[in-house]
Amino acid sequence: MTVLIVLLTVVVLVLCVLVAGLLRAYATVLARLHQLDGSPDHAADHGAGTGTVTKVSAPPFRTADGVMPLDRGDTGRSAPRQTAAGRAEWVAAHDIVGQGLSGEVVSVRTVAVAHDSVIVFLSSGCSGCTTFWEQLADRRGLAAVGDSRVVVVTKSPEDESPSVLRQLCPPDVDLVMSSSAWADYDVPGSPYVIVVDGGTGRVKGEGSGTSLTQISGLMQQAYGDGASFGGRRRVVKPRADAEREVDVDRALLAAGIGPGHASLYAPSTSAEAPVLDPAVSAATQPAHRRLDLLDAREGNGR
Amino acid sequence: MTGDPAISGHGFSVQLPTAWEGRIYRRPPPTTAFTPKNRAAGSTGIAATQAPNGWLGEQTRAVVHLGNFALPAVRGDYGSGAVEKMIAENTFIALVEFGPECLGTALYGSVGLPRVSPDKFDPNGLQRRLPGQSGCQYFFTEQSRPMCLYVVLGSHRQVSPLSAQVNQVLDRIKVDAP
Repeated sequence: MTVLIVLLTVVVLVLCVLVAGLLRAYATVLARLHQLDGSPDHAADHGAGTGTVTKVSAPPFRTADGVMPLDRGDTGRSAPRQTAAGRAEWVAAHDIVGQGLSGEVVSVRTVAVAHDSVIVFLSSGCSGCTTFWEQLADRRGLAAVGDSRVVVVTKSPEDESPSVLRQLCPPDVDLVMSSSAWADYDVPGSPYVIVVDGGTGRVKGEGSGTSLTQISGLMQQAYGDGASFGGRRRVVKPRADAEREVDVDRALLAAGIGPGHASLYAPSTSAEAPVLDPAVSAATQPAHRRLDLLDAREGNGR
Repeated sequence: MTGDPAISGHGFSVQLPTAWEGRIYRRPPPTTAFTPKNRAAGSTGIAATQAPNGWLGEQTRAVVHLGNFALPAVRGDYGSGAVEKMIAENTFIALVEFGPECLGTALYGSVGLPRVSPDKFDPNGLQRRLPGQSGCQYFFTEQSRPMCLYVVLGSHRQVSPLSAQVNQVLDRIKVDAP
């Protein structure tokens, strides 16, 4: 009897060791997958938010206020929102001027336009860009981007290989070769994606990822669940009001007055209550609010 | 890049107004000529790179495209592929250069880049008629370069403000001598 108990104990101990080994291996695989996925936790361990692309892990896709990251958990709740550490406000966007693959002189507007722009910074030599090139050829990969305009930006011809790019880039994809755009947006490496809010002319999301699908999925969730509107319901306004506000916004943007502009917060010298200027009121509304108006206008105008 | 960008190339330069973007290009000489059979084949996708890309003996010239909307990557010289994406407030301008053999002909007799007039716009003036849109075409010679100016308005109902906007853009175009 004693021998039997000893034998059973040994067998149980051996099985415990085996199970522990399997669990450890499984944890290692999960950690590796997590790393490849560019999760926030892992990225935090590798200096996320510093804006640097390392060989270990690209920075996660981070978004401006109101845009929620993809829910990676199974709890049914969204993960905590990532914000750009140390940046009180997202940087201003820039229009892009460069050269097309056939020598075309190209100017692409990203600022003061009604649509958002998804700028995909790629290069011909980076292995991480391969999936992006493949997915650019497949329109299903771009479905989640919605109405946003997709522009691929590589470095200028002197720093790139146009012949290789011709083979990689589908002909119906907008490609601009512009090293100045890389400098303007302070792109740390490729692949890198920047989402520009056309209405405010500011960057509202940026980062790297393993594929366009991954990034566009994040965007789809952000737009699809209303998070880009701060989780609030759309206010249905009369068309004339919406058009008037959009016109005022455009006029202010054209004059270089955007959200946060100093002139909008001039101290009142009068003791009386300030008179609300509808133009100023519209300009100080959050970006998502103005986009809401633009969307409403487009929807009505078509 | 801050401020309104300027683009220049192939003897044209344009200081773009706010919200306008532009392209200046010259199609490469065709490597494979169209035939009646292959004319429609391989117009999109990867196949387009191997598809016929011009007529036999065709000599290409500079083309300028300007628009206050997102110009798509693939466009015809007269804006096919782009004008379909326009909404009522949008405008498309094409400046197409022709060869020196056209110099001195009656069609190109007018000298100087013209300014458009609202009464010249007509829904039947389009290359392909699209609902609500109207267009017009001018032939002229500028700096000894025969050209065609083709303008499409997103809405014929807004012909006056849109044509005024077009003239403001035309004021910003400079053409160099060949």
